[in-house]
Amino acid sequence: MTQGSIISLRDVSKSYGAFELGPIDLDVEPGCVVAVVGLIGSGKSTLLSMLMNLVPPDSGEVSLFGGAFPEDEVAIKQKIGYAPQLPTGYEDLSPRTLCELVSYFYPGWDQEAYEGLLSGVTIEPDRPFEELSAGTQRLLIVALALAVGSELLVLDEPTAGLDPFARSRVLAGISRFIADERHRNRTVVFATHAMEDVRLIADHIAFLVDGELLGLFETGAMLEGWMVFWPEREPEGDVPGMVEFDSGDLVRLVSDSPGETAEALRARNIGVLRTETLDLEEILSHLMRRRAERRTESPHARE
Amino acid sequence: MSEKWYPRRGPYVPISLSMEDPKPMYRQIESQLRDFILSGVLKPGTKLPTIRALARDASCSVITTQRAYRDLEDEGLILSRQGRGTVVAEITEEKMNARRREAVKVVFGEAVRIGRRAGLTEEELHAVLDETLQGDQTEIEGDRS
Repeated sequence: MTQGSIISLRDVSKSYGAFELGPIDLDVEPGCVVAVVGLIGSGKSTLLSMLMNLVPPDSGEVSLFGGAFPEDEVAIKQKIGYAPQLPTGYEDLSPRTLCELVSYFYPGWDQEAYEGLLSGVTIEPDRPFEELSAGTQRLLIVALALAVGSELLVLDEPTAGLDPFARSRVLAGISRFIADERHRNRTVVFATHAMEDVRLIADHIAFLVDGELLGLFETGAMLEGWMVFWPEREPEGDVPGMVEFDSGDLVRLVSDSPGETAEALRARNIGVLRTETLDLEEILSHLMRRRAERRTESPHARE
Repeated sequence: MSEKWYPRRGPYVPISLSMEDPKPMYRQIESQLRDFILSGVLKPGTKLPTIRALARDASCSVITTQRAYRDLEDEGLILSRQGRGTVVAEITEEKMNARRREAVKVVFGEAVRIGRRAGLTEEELHAVLDETLQGDQTEIEGDRS
């Protein structure tokens, strides 16, 4: 395990029938917010479940806080606030009971975080969990995870299905968690489909495609590593960094090496009408396309 | 981000992060703080929020605000002192003017490019600038009356 990592996965894999996750190597440094991003079925939930030992890997090593499952299971889990996508065992419990139960087991319980996240939502405290609306259920699960006052927060799609107000409260809650003055090494790992969540709060993006971890990318560096150019005319021949090119009434050029591309256009005396940052979504789809091309070239690369 | 549901303490600077702006969040924080400093809204010596307080206010991560402060410190606009927090740096009038001129130069450069693209000659560009200056003057006089 890399010195100082909070989470360390080594050669971890898991298969379910035809689906294969991994082998994955991943290190998460303390103090980071990591977004796990990928299409439906790419393995995000499986990856997060492994951090809680809910899904043990077929092979490889999962270690958290320097410990491993099953030996250090209790110690590890005491340090994690976990919000699954679909909790089991909550069905008949009311919000009041859930709050009492969870707060009882965690000495660091943060009532302010719990109430803050749920403020503005009318929740009947004695209604069974399964009768609450999907959005309320989600918010409640996230509020419970945030409020346990752990060192690590693992959230599976914390903003899915929420209205914009609840969503911004969840993001503010994550920010408040990570920026707490008293706990300076808190870490967050969350799965999401919302690029806005990623851009706002994630320092790193763990990008999963078909069970393969394409990498742990730094969000800012990724956004600044790509650029759209609108040159005033079509450049002839190869332009360094160019990965996509549309010529119509306007020429649009996507580059994964903006410095080199700008230099090349300048050298050829081609003016640039405009440049803009490429959408995160578009960057990710370029990475997926690149992977697909790589696999067509060597279809057995993973075997 | 809208409402805040926890108490806010210490210095505050209004930063608003936009999803419309595709740039990384630390760049947005940098440019908003830079504008406040160069326009004199935040004067030298003004205490800035801690990286943690700023992260909470902007609903972003600590690494984001840390990066923004580090970049602004490298630019000489702010100063971080262990245990004493972060303050707006003393910026000499000369340096301040140079920075302001730089910002104007960028916008003028863009204007000149657009002008040339539209086929304007150098004289015509000068004429446009004179007209604009005159228009601005009349506007100011108009405001006074």
